[in-house]
Amino acid sequence: MDTLLSGQLLFAALVSGSLYALVALGLNLVYGTLRLLNIAHGDLVMIGAYTAFWMISLFAIPPILSLFIAAALCALLGWAVYAGLFRRMLAKPELAKRVEANSLILFYGISVILQNLAALAFTSTSRGYQYLDTVITWQGISMTGNRLLSLGVAASVCFGALLFLRFHLFGWGLRAVIQRREAAQVVGVNLNRVQLLTICGGFAVAGVAGVLVSMTEQITPFMGFPFTIVAFVVIIIGGLGNIGAGVLAGFCLGLVETYGIALTSPGYRSILIYGLFVGVLLVRPEGIFTKAVRS
Amino acid sequence: MTTPMLSVSGLRAAYGPVQVLFDVDFDVEPGSVTTLIGANGAGKTTIMKSIAGLVAPAAGEISFEGRDITQAASHDRVDAGLCLIPEGRLVFPGMTVEQNLRLGAIAPAARAGHSEMLAEVFRRFPRLEERRGQQAGLMSGGEQQMLALGRGLMARPRLILMDEPTLGLAPVMVKQVFETIEELRATGFTILLAEQNAKVALELADRAYLLENGRVALSGSGAELLDSPDVRRAYLGM
Ligand SMILES: Nc1ncnc2c1ncn2[C@@H]1O[C@H](COP(=O)(O)OP(=O)(O)OP(=O)(O)O)[C@@H](O)[C@H]1O
Ligand SMILES: [Mg+2]
Repeated sequence: MDTLLSGQLLFAALVSGSLYALVALGLNLVYGTLRLLNIAHGDLVMIGAYTAFWMISLFAIPPILSLFIAAALCALLGWAVYAGLFRRMLAKPELAKRVEANSLILFYGISVILQNLAALAFTSTSRGYQYLDTVITWQGISMTGNRLLSLGVAASVCFGALLFLRFHLFGWGLRAVIQRREAAQVVGVNLNRVQLLTICGGFAVAGVAGVLVSMTEQITPFMGFPFTIVAFVVIIIGGLGNIGAGVLAGFCLGLVETYGIALTSPGYRSILIYGLFVGVLLVRPEGIFTKAVRS
Repeated sequence: MTTPMLSVSGLRAAYGPVQVLFDVDFDVEPGSVTTLIGANGAGKTTIMKSIAGLVAPAAGEISFEGRDITQAASHDRVDAGLCLIPEGRLVFPGMTVEQNLRLGAIAPAARAGHSEMLAEVFRRFPRLEERRGQQAGLMSGGEQQMLALGRGLMARPRLILMDEPTLGLAPVMVKQVFETIEELRATGFTILLAEQNAKVALELADRAYLLENGRVALSGSGAELLDSPDVRRAYLGM
């Protein structure tokens, strides 16, 4: 009982929750505005992680700077995917109708390619590095600097994104596209620009998450898939295309996972995550935080 | 001779292999109400969407105030001064009335003056002001129509395209919509109206076009179409 009420556990829950929220944020933005199911989302996390690793190993560039490099790299990838593949598909109504289903297969292909390219280039040896790993104790809670940084960055990016969506006119346009694409065009939202910037932003956020993960976990070419799964679980719990709810759901998943494991054992991790997922799908398939109004 | 505000010529459109518009020609004069009437499936909505840039025409030319806009993106057309009030209203259901209106002024040309325009829309539709904090999806059909129109006005259009604004409304609301259209014309707006309510729409129209199977079958002043035996038989039930 003591451990359950300790700040230590809460801190751990917030660290993983904020990371889940961040990974899911990018997936949700891309799904919401473009209706693309990005199965390769976790592989962007992997790319971000390798970016941080190589930057610090080769050039002694610290992860805090690699955050920007990884974001730019993934944003560039987003641009390439959008300009190269999807702009044409989305512009043609016949193709746009099937884009959701097709995107799943296309991104699956992209995912396999990215993983194998990474394995070829970097081998499948797991990598890691040390950064800010001294323990800081505050109010009886022991934290490593890198976990604190991870929580700080992930939470700030999530809440920054939410504030942007709420208060910036571009964010309004983006929400309009998510809610009713055709109506957004009717009022004069620049659909092409919203889609392009969203895919770049969504990919960039995944790259940032990768840098954060790399500070505390092993880096391999195949590390991305579990993040894809977690991100899908989170956005389905929150409600597809519902950005704020997705962030909340990410934190909730972190809490459920951490406290669930503390009450049971680490072997139950998958059962907890999928149990929550299946439970939500059974009880509220539209997502737990989705408002009733959606015609 | 004045140049028309909107000129559509040789317009063809298709959904996949199915062609639905065949060389449609018509003009909209500044300050007028121009009405398109026609049965379900005649192609009214397709014409409206082509003008707004939501459907890409297969052939033909659309020019607005002398400028060729056939290839322009939909947001550039809003910015240029034309605005669609779509069939089925298409308000943003999860947003409030006020947020819907704010989004109406998202086009660069409309951004600067959006608060004056909001006051203007509230003056025209006091009901929207009473309901400003309400979720748009929870409003009645008539209120949503008002909101869709208000949202369109927020873009400061010179040409308003109204696609079946009276669809599904009670008679008293239908009357109100037509009164609003007359008011808008009186204050200098140009209106292109697609309507099933042929009688009232023709009485109001300065100019009217009858569409049949994607072609203009008849054109003339509103009064001329009202007098036409074909129109009377097929659309007015006389
Ligand atoms: N998205 C679409 N895909 C395929 N066919 C379509 C689509 N939209 C309309 N059509 C077809 O195009 C033709 C013209 O439709 P349109 O909606 O323009 O007619 P309308 O005159 O507006 O009819 P209504 O009075 O019912 O609104 C119809 O035959 C319709 O079935
Ligand atoms: Mg129609």
